[in-house]
Amino acid sequence: MTPKTVRRVNWIGGITTVLTVVIAVLWAFPLYWGIVSSLKPENEVVRPFIELWPDTLTFRHYWFALTETQIGAWYLNSIVTSLGVTVVTVTTSLFAGYALSQLRFPGRTILWWLILASFMVPTQVLIINHFVLMADMGLLNSWAGIILPQLIHPVIIIVYKQFFDQVPKDFREAAAMDNASEWNVLFRIYIPMNWGVTTALSIVTFIWAWNAFLWPFLAVTKTEMMTITVGITQVFDAFGVYYARQLSAAVLAGFPVALAYLLFQRKVTQAITLSAGIKG
Amino acid sequence: MSDIALNSVTKSFGGVKVIDRISLEVKSGEFVVFLGPSGSGKSTLLRMIAGLETIDEGTLTIGGKRSEHLAPGQRDVAMVFQNYALYPHMTVRDNMAFGLRNIRMDKDKIEERVQTAARILEMDALLDRRPAQLSGGQRQRVAIGRAIVKEPAAFLFDEPLSNLDAALRVRTRVELAELHQNMKSTMIYVTHDQTEAMTLADRIVILNNCRIEQIGSPMEVYLKPASRFVAAFVGSPGMNFLKADLSGRGAEQVSTLGNGARIALQVDLPPGAYELGIRPEAIQVTPSPADTSGKATVVERLGDRTLVHLHLDDGTELIALDGGLSEVRPGDTVHLKFDTSQLHLFDDDGMAHHAR
Ligand SMILES: Nc1ncnc2c1ncn2[C@@H]1O[C@H](COP(=O)(O)OP(=O)(O)O)[C@@H](O)[C@H]1O
Ligand SMILES: [Mg+2]
Repeated sequence: MTPKTVRRVNWIGGITTVLTVVIAVLWAFPLYWGIVSSLKPENEVVRPFIELWPDTLTFRHYWFALTETQIGAWYLNSIVTSLGVTVVTVTTSLFAGYALSQLRFPGRTILWWLILASFMVPTQVLIINHFVLMADMGLLNSWAGIILPQLIHPVIIIVYKQFFDQVPKDFREAAAMDNASEWNVLFRIYIPMNWGVTTALSIVTFIWAWNAFLWPFLAVTKTEMMTITVGITQVFDAFGVYYARQLSAAVLAGFPVALAYLLFQRKVTQAITLSAGIKG
Repeated sequence: MSDIALNSVTKSFGGVKVIDRISLEVKSGEFVVFLGPSGSGKSTLLRMIAGLETIDEGTLTIGGKRSEHLAPGQRDVAMVFQNYALYPHMTVRDNMAFGLRNIRMDKDKIEERVQTAARILEMDALLDRRPAQLSGGQRQRVAIGRAIVKEPAAFLFDEPLSNLDAALRVRTRVELAELHQNMKSTMIYVTHDQTEAMTLADRIVILNNCRIEQIGSPMEVYLKPASRFVAAFVGSPGMNFLKADLSGRGAEQVSTLGNGARIALQVDLPPGAYELGIRPEAIQVTPSPADTSGKATVVERLGDRTLVHLHLDDGTELIALDGGLSEVRPGDTVHLKFDTSQLHLFDDDGMAHHAR
C-alpha cells in the first residue's frame, strides 16, 4: 500500500466517523434533553429556549418520584411481569421451535403456517378480545392478567426454529447413536449449542415486556398494580402536568432497560438483528 | 459373536431405489470396506446398518439378533461420522461419556473406559479441551474415542479420513490398521478412495448403481476384477482398456488390437469383439520389438517408477510402467511387451474374463 492510498482510506474513515457521530447525536439528543429537563426546576423547563444545561440543578423531581409515588410497587410489578413473560415465552417458544424444526408429527405444517400467520396479526387487533377474556377470568388488576396476553411472540418461535434447522443433522444422528432421548437431545445438545440465541431472545423479550404499555395500561386500573410504564403516567396531581416530574419518572422507568443494554450490548444487538431479520 | 448379516435389503428414497436387494455377511473381527464412487449408496448401506436409515425390505442381523427394527443406540454398533459430529459445547471427556451416561453406566466405569480409550488413542492430555481447541487430526481421534468407549460389536466409519490433509490421512490410515489389529473388532468402513480400501480391508465390497459389483480381498479385487467397472475403479493409475478382436480356439487363441498387433492369450471365450484390459505394470517397456509399439507422449517420473503415457498407431492411449531410471523420453517410439497372464477381456455386459 502506498502512502497515498493510506491517506485516502483515512479520509473515508474520517467522513464515516463524523457522519456516525452526527447521526448518533441526533438519536441521543431527545434522551439527553429528557434527562437534563428532569434536572431543571419546573419554571426553567417551560422557558421557550433550548437550554442545554440547567441554571439550577435539582434532584427534587427524582425525590418526588421516589417518595411520593408508588414507584416501588410499579418496579416490582414490572420486574415480575416482565420476568414472567420472558420465562414463559422463551420456554414455550423453545419447545415449539424445536418440535417444528426437529419432530415429524401430523399437523406440523399446518401448525407452522398458523404460527407464521399469527405473526401477521398485530396484537393491538386482539386487545379487546384479550380484555374481555381477562375480565371474564377475573384477572384484571393481577400479574397473571398482565402476563398472559403478552405471551404471544411468534417471532421467537420462528427464530428458534430457524436456529434448530441450522444445526447439522449429524449431531442428531450422533445423539441417536449415543442413545440420547428426545429430551436429552434438546436439553443436552440443541439448547447448549444455541445458548447465544436463548440469551439474546430472553433479553429482547424482557425489554419488549418491560416497555409494554398498551396492554398493561388497559389491564390495570388500580395504582398499586401498575407496571412502571403505566405508572409514570400517574405522576401528576390535581394542579396539572409537571413535565420535569414526569420526565424524572420516565428516566427511572427506562433505567433498568438502559442498564440491560449496557451490560448485554453485544447480545442485544445480536438479538435485535436476529428478530429484525424476520420482523422486518 | 458379532457377525453382521444383511439379507436382501432394499432402500428407496422417494421412489428412487438406492440399495437394491443387497446381501452381505461380515464376519466377527473382519475389516470390511465399502468402496464405490460418490452416490453409489455406500453411506446409505452403512447407515442402514447403523439404524440411521430405515430398511425398506430385507433383514439385518447383528450378533445373531434381528436388528432392522431396533433404534440406532440399541444395535451395539458405534459410528464415526465424516464430520466427526463432536458436540461443540462439551469437553472431550464429556463427548466420550455422553453415550455411556445415557445408558446410566456407573460413573467410575465411564471414567475407566474414557481413560482406556484416551490411552489407546494417546490423547490423555486433551480430555478437558473442547472440540474447537483441537486440530483436525485430534478431533478425528476423539470421534474414534467416542466409538471405542462403547465397546461395540462393530465400528462403522463413513469416510473418516476425508477431512484430513494428505500427510495426516496416510498416518491415520496406518493407525486405523493398527487399531484394528489391537482391538480385533469388526469394522465396516466406507470410502471412495481405493488406496484406503486396498490398505485397510480384509475384504472389499465394491458398490455401483445400487448393487454390489464384487466382494473380495484387496488382491482378488485388484487381480481378478469381476467387471469392467471394478477393473477401472480399482488401481492407480487405472487399467488400460483397448479394443480387441478375439479369434482362434485353444492354443491358437489370439486377440488383435486396433493397431493390428496380435497378442496370444488363453481365455475361455468364443471368438468376437471384446475389450481388453491390462494394468500398466503388466506392460513392460523393452529395448527390442515385442508385442507392439507406441509413441511416448508424456513421461511422469515418480522416483521409484516411471509412468509412460503412449499413443498407439490407431490413436489408442495407454500407460506403461517403467523402472525409476527409465530412459524413455517424450517423443520416443517404445516397444512394449504384454504380460499375457495378466490380461482381462470384458464382454458387452462388462463381465470380466481373465486370461490364464
Ligand atoms: N436422505 C436422502 N434423500 C434422498 N436421496 C438420498 C438421501 N440420501 C442419499 N440419497 C441418494 O442416494 C444415493 C446414494 O447416496 P449415498 O449413500 O450417500 O452415496 P455415497 O455415500 O456412496 O456417496 C445418492 O444418489 C443420493 O443422492
Ligand atoms: Mg457417502
